[in-house]
Amino acid sequence: MSMSTPNSAALVIDKVNRRFGGVVAANALDFTIRQGEFLAVVGPNGAGKSTLLQMISGVIRPQEGEIRLGGRRIDRLTPEAINALGISRTFQTSRVFPMLTIRDSILVGTQVGLIGGGRSPRRYGPVGELVSALFRLPGYRASAAAAEARAEEVMKMFGDRLWPRRNDQAFSLSYANRRRLEIARALVQDPDILLLDEPAAGMNPSETDELTEIIAELRRSRPSMTIVMVEHKLQVVRQLAERCIVMSQGTVIVDDTPAGALEDPRVIEAYLGTKRSAAAFGKVNDDG
Amino acid sequence: MLELFLSQILNGVVIGFVYALIALGFSLVFGVANIINFAQGALLMLGAFLTFTMVRLGAPIAVAIPLAIAITTATGMLIERLALRPLQNAPYIAPLLSTLAIAIIFDAAAEMIWTAEIQSFPSPLSKYVVFVGSAYLTGVDFLIIAVSLSVMAGLMLFLSRSWMGKALRATAQDPEAATQMGINVPLMRQFSFGLAGALGALAGVLIGMYYMSVFPQMGIPYGLKGFAAALLGGLSSIPGAIVGGILLGIFESLASGYVGEGWRDVIAFSVLLLVLIVRPHGLFGNKSLDALGGASGATGGIPTTSVVASMAGATGRTKQRLIEAPLLVLLGVIALFALLPALGGSNYLLQVGTQAAIYAVLAVSLTLLTGSAGIISIGHAAFFGVGAYAAALAGRNWGIPAEAAFLLAGVAAAVFAAVLYWPTIRLSGHTVGLATLAIGQIVYLVCLNWVDVTRGPMGIPGVQRPSLLLGGIDMKSLAAQYWQALVVLAIAVTIAFAMLNSPIGRTWRAIREDRLAARASGVPVSRYLTLVFLVSGFLAGLAGAQFAFLQNFVSPESFMIDTSIVLISMIVLGGLGNITGALVGGVLLALLPEVLREFAQYRMLAYGAILLLLLRFRPQGLAGTR
Ligand SMILES: Nc1ncnc2c1ncn2[C@@H]1O[C@H](COP(=O)(O)OP(=O)(O)OP(=O)(O)O)[C@@H](O)[C@H]1O
Ligand SMILES: [Mg+2]
Repeated sequence: MSMSTPNSAALVIDKVNRRFGGVVAANALDFTIRQGEFLAVVGPNGAGKSTLLQMISGVIRPQEGEIRLGGRRIDRLTPEAINALGISRTFQTSRVFPMLTIRDSILVGTQVGLIGGGRSPRRYGPVGELVSALFRLPGYRASAAAAEARAEEVMKMFGDRLWPRRNDQAFSLSYANRRRLEIARALVQDPDILLLDEPAAGMNPSETDELTEIIAELRRSRPSMTIVMVEHKLQVVRQLAERCIVMSQGTVIVDDTPAGALEDPRVIEAYLGTKRSAAAFGKVNDDG
Repeated sequence: MLELFLSQILNGVVIGFVYALIALGFSLVFGVANIINFAQGALLMLGAFLTFTMVRLGAPIAVAIPLAIAITTATGMLIERLALRPLQNAPYIAPLLSTLAIAIIFDAAAEMIWTAEIQSFPSPLSKYVVFVGSAYLTGVDFLIIAVSLSVMAGLMLFLSRSWMGKALRATAQDPEAATQMGINVPLMRQFSFGLAGALGALAGVLIGMYYMSVFPQMGIPYGLKGFAAALLGGLSSIPGAIVGGILLGIFESLASGYVGEGWRDVIAFSVLLLVLIVRPHGLFGNKSLDALGGASGATGGIPTTSVVASMAGATGRTKQRLIEAPLLVLLGVIALFALLPALGGSNYLLQVGTQAAIYAVLAVSLTLLTGSAGIISIGHAAFFGVGAYAAALAGRNWGIPAEAAFLLAGVAAAVFAAVLYWPTIRLSGHTVGLATLAIGQIVYLVCLNWVDVTRGPMGIPGVQRPSLLLGGIDMKSLAAQYWQALVVLAIAVTIAFAMLNSPIGRTWRAIREDRLAARASGVPVSRYLTLVFLVSGFLAGLAGAQFAFLQNFVSPESFMIDTSIVLISMIVLGGLGNITGALVGGVLLALLPEVLREFAQYRMLAYGAILLLLLRFRPQGLAGTR
């Protein structure tokens, strides 16, 4: 697939390398994610998919190469600085705030918007926020109320999964609900780029379908939002993504449409190794 | 000139070997049980005092020492069994506080049994002296070096050759895999505590011989130094511990030679801080301290950095009820207490009431920092002290009126808190507790030794009370002090309430629960932690000023580590991050020594025991953790 004309808000992965001891998690990764693109990243366990998201979001730094957003180099920035540029993410092992309620957890995502940067019209410096919170100044209260409204809107995107439980603490949630909570925390920021690390992991088929529908709806309502999704469930990839990158041992082995990529014999081989499991791959995932 | 230098280096090397022994105890427990054992120093003290007692009772020293080591080893194993193993499901902060409580209990018990005085320790070898140029070494020095080296060599052989040693190392590397291999992991943990006890006791005896004296409070400083040495050496290797110990020994020995004996510990603890900040993995280490409180914290399935979350919480087995009174109720209760002087409360009652109000302010201040933001602060008394000294010095040296001194004290403590705790922003979990403990000790020692400014142990008398421009009322009376303290408390509660129930408080809790997730959600963590340092420091400073006004006097002993630990006990008792809880815990524990007046000398013992029992049976506190 040709990446000839990267537009202004493109995310450029430029010859990025990352090793952990002897393990090569990213080996000369080199591709561009255009604005508004829905990119799926698939590949066997340990291929380096999560490492890619970790590097884009600033949690891990590349050892060589650069990552640029709209021409600006971001691979040396902190996670919070990268987030402020409009990149939100979820984690493979859900990182919820165990003692916080669902509502509070999601509101944490609005905090940047509240204090400046982000997408809020009002900006507060550290002292400004201290004084505003202390004296409950009207402007700050209005921002906080707007944040609450936004959080409510996002919670309701997940039907009655999150909203009725908004005052439950995160540790009491089911595995699938923790995933939803994390996605909501990212979505509440209304990001330009959304990074999802196996959003459907641990969900049963009907929950997976439900999530797929939510993401598809998000896609319709926010077509300009770039989405990068790592996912092992290939039917989700087929239904949602426009482009699919297959990684193996830290490198991109195929970069194509989902249909093209998932049919590629190299992919089947890299993904599952043996003939027997290659057959299973064809059966299980095609029949869904 | 050169002679002094040479002899200080020699002294440093010798005492450094002892530090290396303590360091090994720390490293073993840290490696195997993944906790920082604050009771290591207490075991050291125990070993030294057991030897001292047995010799005094007529036992030959060659019999007393092995016996003391054996008893201390058993004690170490007992601590693991009674104070740590039952805490598997308790909040992540619990094991740390539990070892701290043990340290306090041992400390207090030792003071009761052996008095707080320095005791002279038998040191038969110190009369043999060998000159090295103009410096000299005593028989004790040779003994220390010989014993340390052979113990370390033995330990190295044990760890690499014996089955137990290998099992111990396997547990340190991967407890789950070790369990699969049929290794009894809890037993290994217990065994590491036993070994740490043996090493500690040996170090205690050697220290006793070296200085020819022992004292009950020796546990904390030597524990900290052992940890500094362990950290310098990287926490993972025996040679690392030796180099770390010797380096630390040389640093502080030079400091005491050239700056003054009083500054020895200040230098040692500063080294500890510096390493924590600059090279948390030590000079040679590869084991990162960030592992503490990191992804695989106490909660099993959920990655979290939370100090209050727990395995039990994660699996939803403990449903806690959170009791939080609304602000108006809290202020109403404070207003009711203000009637006490009108109801004819005696001077004694007013004095106690003022003390309780001051402690309540401190507890509120600490619960913001430790309870909400998750920064385990075992040095909080430092900011209380900074506030008190600022208020006292403002009037005495700079002629500032007492009213303004109030505010100045708050601001000074806020600035100190932000500056001194700034380095802890990059640390997590138990390491923060260690750093703040060191910071608290440094501030205390500076107050004690910087005689030009603080008048050292003599303290500053004649602190003027504010008149607050309320003509008519005698603001200098005890009743007025009581009211003033209640006003400070009302202000503190209002500020804390506004913070905790605003987006700022929510952000603090998010940082406590999962720092990485907070950052990835855009939260500028250092900014919000600075904010909590400022607010918490400010409130502690106000409490300090009120304390100085009440006593008309400040001296370093009010701001010792004991105070910090009492404060922690208060907020754990009430429930972390919960203002109502902080008030309840603060007032209850402030009144405790008054209620048990005849037993006043058992005060610290009681605090330690309460903390220990709470962690075991009601870790969420009386009013619940928020
Ligand atoms: N922080 C780390 N430290 C050490 N090794 C790491 C770290 N993160 C990733 N690795 C290693 O890098 C390789 C790639 O890991 P990564 O998590 O990116 O794989 P993945 O494609 O997401 O796999 P999965 O499908 O299992 O999630 C693996 O071998 C992993 O063990
Ligand atoms: Mg992954």
